[in-house]
Amino acid sequence: MNGIIAILQWINDLPLSAFIRDWIFAFPSLETVHVIAIVFVLGSITRLDMRLMGLVWQDRPVTEISEEMLPWTWISFVIATIFGLLLWMSKPLTYFAIAFFDVKMILIALAGINMLFFQFVTFRTVGQWDRDPIPPPAARFAGALSMALWLGVMICGRFIGFV
Amino acid sequence: MLQGFTEWLTGTEASAVLSDTTQFATWLIIPVSQCIHLICVAIVMISVGLLNLRLLGVAGARQSFAQLADHLMPWIWAALTVLFITGTIQTVAEPGRELLNIGFKTKMVLLMCAVAITVVYQTTIRKDPKYWDRSPERRKMAQMLASISLVLWIGIAAAGRLIAYLDLRHEQ
Repeated sequence: MNGIIAILQWINDLPLSAFIRDWIFAFPSLETVHVIAIVFVLGSITRLDMRLMGLVWQDRPVTEISEEMLPWTWISFVIATIFGLLLWMSKPLTYFAIAFFDVKMILIALAGINMLFFQFVTFRTVGQWDRDPIPPPAARFAGALSMALWLGVMICGRFIGFV
Repeated sequence: MLQGFTEWLTGTEASAVLSDTTQFATWLIIPVSQCIHLICVAIVMISVGLLNLRLLGVAGARQSFAQLADHLMPWIWAALTVLFITGTIQTVAEPGRELLNIGFKTKMVLLMCAVAITVVYQTTIRKDPKYWDRSPERRKMAQMLASISLVLWIGIAAAGRLIAYLDLRHEQ
């Protein structure tokens, strides 16, 4: 625990952290980019999730939706992460103490695990159900879980600002 | 006039209830409303992103613009309706924070322009699904509208996020 605090303190004392804290335009502008990136992450991943659940675009193959949506998701996720890190380093000790922040990080990790499991296990058989209007239970479950986790990430993120 | 309306709205019972932060249940209204607002922003942004990049010829070539629009337009209008409702809740709760805010005013002006372009998309393809492919001039026009629309929607989202930082009530 003390080790974590020491590392966070060290990050807190970096010149870049101080700059983001002190220059009044830094936080609002970084946060604006962060939020715009997040709505694209959420918007694109939930479209794929809903296709996996058999709720939208039932007449189109799952792989087609996946190829169309995932570039949006990945590019936006990288941008959201970079700008999120910059926001976080301006007050890492404060965020560490906010439960919503910690839960948000755990939910992102869980979303990542869900995605990896889906990619390397469930999605390997996609050839058999690519054109199914309603994919098999494992795929529907992965979609529902992904959607729930990303909505949770967004909700926790929004609530960080209210405590 | 806006000043007077803001003062009147601030004095209403509805505003008092929505901005009451002493009770947990009423305190929750604004963050929950903002979360729903954000989910709908996500729906609108990915939808207009897909539509405009399709018009620009950058992505989504597997479907025609009309096919894509047929699927996405109902999502856009439904999400915009919910955005209007949640936005109204947030405005009634804190009229001065929104109505007298340069970020909010900018957002509303940009929003009207962006919605106008969306209505143009909808009415033209309803008339003729291939409307934007009929001539090189129309293709050029479509690309221009798509570029403007993208900039407008990004601007709307940015102005929306910045409302919180442009709230100068306490400094007056």
